[in-house]
Amino acid sequence: MRQFFSFLLFSLLSICVHPRAASASSDYHEQLVLRPLPLSALLASFNFRSNTTLSAFEAHNFRFFPRSLGQILQHAGTRELHLRFSLGRWDAESWGARPWDGAREGGTGVELWAWLDAETDEEADHKWLTLTNALSGLFCASLNFIDSTRTTRPVMSFQPEGDHPNSTETNTHLLYGVLPHEVVCTENLTPFLKLLPCKGKAGIATLLDGHKLFDASWQSMAIDIRPVCPADGECVLEIEQTIDMVLDIERSKRPRGNPIPRPPPGHELKCDTSKPYHADDTCFPADYSANQEWSLSQIFGRTIKGTCPLTDPNTPPVCLQVPESRSVFISNGSLEKKNADGASRCYEIEPEAEFEMILPAPSDAAQTENKAQAELQDLVKPETPLLYAERSFTGHGQERGGVQTILRNPSPDREVEFIYMESLPWFMRIYLHTIEARIEGQSGKQRDSLIQEVYYRPAVDRARGTQLEVRMRVPPASTVFLTYDFEKSILRYTEYPPDANRGFDVAAAVITILNSTDSVSSSSGRSVAYALRTTSLLCSLPTPDFSMPYNVIIFTSTAIALAFGGMFNILVRRFVAADEGPEVSLGGLKGRLMDKLGKLLALFKSKGGGIKKTE
Amino acid sequence: MDDGKVTLGRTAGLYIGAAVLRLSLFTLFPGLPDLLTGRVEISTPVTSFKRLQEGLFLYNHNVSPYDGGVYHQAPLFLPLFSLLPSFATLPIFTFILYIAVDLLSANALFKIANSGEAGSSALFTSPRRDKRWSGPVVAAVFLFNPFTIATCIGRPTSVFTTCAILHAIAKAVAGAPFTAMVALSFAAYLSMYPLLLLPPLLLLAYDRQRLPKGITAKPSGLTFAASHLLVVVGVLSALFGMSYLMTGSWEFLPSTYGIQLTLSDLTPNVGLWWYFFIEMFDSFRSFFLAVFWLHLSAYVGGLTVRIRRQPLAVITLLLGIFTIFKPYPSISDSSLFLALVPLYRHVFPLMRYTFLVAAIILYTVFLGPAFYHLWIYAGSGNANFFYAITLVWGLGLSLLVCDLTFAVLRDEWEVERPEMVGKEIRQI
Repeated sequence: MRQFFSFLLFSLLSICVHPRAASASSDYHEQLVLRPLPLSALLASFNFRSNTTLSAFEAHNFRFFPRSLGQILQHAGTRELHLRFSLGRWDAESWGARPWDGAREGGTGVELWAWLDAETDEEADHKWLTLTNALSGLFCASLNFIDSTRTTRPVMSFQPEGDHPNSTETNTHLLYGVLPHEVVCTENLTPFLKLLPCKGKAGIATLLDGHKLFDASWQSMAIDIRPVCPADGECVLEIEQTIDMVLDIERSKRPRGNPIPRPPPGHELKCDTSKPYHADDTCFPADYSANQEWSLSQIFGRTIKGTCPLTDPNTPPVCLQVPESRSVFISNGSLEKKNADGASRCYEIEPEAEFEMILPAPSDAAQTENKAQAELQDLVKPETPLLYAERSFTGHGQERGGVQTILRNPSPDREVEFIYMESLPWFMRIYLHTIEARIEGQSGKQRDSLIQEVYYRPAVDRARGTQLEVRMRVPPASTVFLTYDFEKSILRYTEYPPDANRGFDVAAAVITILNSTDSVSSSSGRSVAYALRTTSLLCSLPTPDFSMPYNVIIFTSTAIALAFGGMFNILVRRFVAADEGPEVSLGGLKGRLMDKLGKLLALFKSKGGGIKKTE
Repeated sequence: MDDGKVTLGRTAGLYIGAAVLRLSLFTLFPGLPDLLTGRVEISTPVTSFKRLQEGLFLYNHNVSPYDGGVYHQAPLFLPLFSLLPSFATLPIFTFILYIAVDLLSANALFKIANSGEAGSSALFTSPRRDKRWSGPVVAAVFLFNPFTIATCIGRPTSVFTTCAILHAIAKAVAGAPFTAMVALSFAAYLSMYPLLLLPPLLLLAYDRQRLPKGITAKPSGLTFAASHLLVVVGVLSALFGMSYLMTGSWEFLPSTYGIQLTLSDLTPNVGLWWYFFIEMFDSFRSFFLAVFWLHLSAYVGGLTVRIRRQPLAVITLLLGIFTIFKPYPSISDSSLFLALVPLYRHVFPLMRYTFLVAAIILYTVFLGPAFYHLWIYAGSGNANFFYAITLVWGLGLSLLVCDLTFAVLRDEWEVERPEMVGKEIRQI
């Protein structure tokens, strides 16, 4: 009855007045959260979420759920799916903790993990192949290159986000694939937007433009599909699409028609007036991190075109996280609602009007001598992440090397326990016996006290990559170095990409921080508190000379023929004294040649004579 | 020989000297063992000590070392090295083990040299046999060969194969065919290729067998070969059975021996295979793998038949061939070959290219590491630099093998034609 009523209401209202009240029980939400970050950066988090009941999904009854994706999921028996397209590096030192606690981001390139329904491992592999190939077509990405060498089955790192009935758990297989070399670009954004109910034509999605998104300092597009079973009511399948990007305000404000940076004319230079040598003709450029004025249309190149009519009216479409003291200008007809925490405010948008927002530079009165302090006053202070991680290669040469990960726990009193996962290509042969963890400033190995559990699946040449999961801990306020050695193998020349000397991308390490609980029992039951990924690495392998396969084949064959010929020549022939046996000396040969030549000459002479005669 | 005591004293001094030299290298230069272990000339994917340690680590942590691409060595190394105190804490035991293996090899070589088999076998006696080097000299040439020392410090597991092969020869020479076959089976179990030495070793053991008292007629060659073939098969299956029980599956077979047949790991070494199969077109890969293995085994029959009267010479020459043409050769194999060559001191005057061969070997020894550095570290050379040196090295050694074959054959021929000594000859 209620459904009928709401439907009636919806049809009535959508014609005349306001769709806002209509879809009271709407299954679609979208929200944009803008947060200015230090160093004149702006984090924009787009979030789109829609639900469909599992029964409707199984009956091929899609409403907000994209049909193209839904059919792929059904065909490949996928229970839960996570897909990430990422670029750039999150600068945790200045930007603080990651959005969504790192749950909606991936390493550079493409990352995909899914829980598949399958009786056996082979069946899971088969379904995984189907899934990756189908998604590859849907998202215009090289996901079909996720083959057995790039697929792992993580044991500790990933926990299902959705609610899965216990009975199916034994038949669900988690597979994880990563393509660090994939360049994420506009062709991946277009299919991403097409999955949205409003297709990017209305609502906050109108801000998404490939030119701006892929120009960001850091961006991550995520698709998460999971079954959710509320305590009361029917299980639903939830699809959440997230785009997080960190824009450099100065860079984004460059006019579209004149994107090449040029030195500004002298009178536009921002000078640091506190320098003693500051004068009319002397300028020390001021820190660019000074707060700047910006507006939505400057940053994104356009304004928000109304709201998506299908969205839940109770969710404000745009939120801004700045201290309450800052003033913000918005276009007419929009409503500002300040949140209780004093650090954020949200805006209700007119459904049909364009929405513009201008954040003016903070007033000059706030400019104290201490710039950093001033900046912090005008921004929401970034939250300190639970852990900082940096990974790099050590050593030199193309024969062997080492991987070093620096893990820093900023908390003064809390220990961090996490799972460090590496998914390495097979041509990096790692030596697990060299793995070592030590605390900075302390001598000796603390391997046993820091590393608690290791799950290792070694690589098999051309068949499987290395999977390394390490459960370890970092004591409060300390830095831990995790190192291990590896050897670079040399490949067949057909296995190198065309740009062989550029190197091979190595996927980001995934660090999953677990909620600390009193029981130190199994890691499986513990929820994820925070996730982060290191940057990807570029590993250069020794290369053969690509230009001379024929030469090598010929040279080696010649060497072998020389040895074989020389050997069997000695073995099969008889010894005689130099003056014995048949004559094969040069003199004899010469005699025979002269003889032949003489005969030939005689023949010619006789012929020539014949011709003369006929004349 | 004439003074047993003095010889014994000299030999003991020699062994002690070699052991002290190695031990001092191990202890005075703590970085040297790891440096040499990392050299591609010494460690190959199937013998590397670092890979052995990785295999050991995985084995001790209940991960199958054969379910991965790093460890390709025989399974019985794992319990052997597990028994030793951990290398990380007490490396001295590993050093002592490797020194002991070297000394055992030298001792076997000492016995072979002293038996005089090289100069006068059962079917052939060389007129020049008096010009031979005695056991201590041959052992000293082996023990103080820089290749042997570098191998010992670099600790590849190929030294165990070397030791087993030398013991197989020594036992065959001493008239203990059964022990010889057992030793050969161990060598074949450790690195497969010594199985190709079986025909000449059977002949050697057959020629030198000591008959039990009362029996004068030798058993027929066929029964001898069949019974000792059975011994080899028996010992090998026992070793495989033990390996199976130890690792719990047969997956060590493709990982240990399969890699030598398919050459899936293309790490550079001093041989000719690696670059050839890097550059090989995929469709011809299996064909050329078969051709290379066929080529390697083609010498066994030819040499065994042609130099039937001197089986030890055949073994020496075959080891030379293997040094050049096996899938993963290292200077450890060269040191084994160069250890057996001095047994043929008496035919050295018949060799024609000794200076050339010596010059080529010196040339490659110095240029090989330099060119490898240019390719891998300096980046100013490419892979062809190192490949060219391995090509020269292979050619130089094959010249040595051919020359030695020539010398041995001419020595045989001069028994028939004693008037030809020192005369110019040719082959037709």
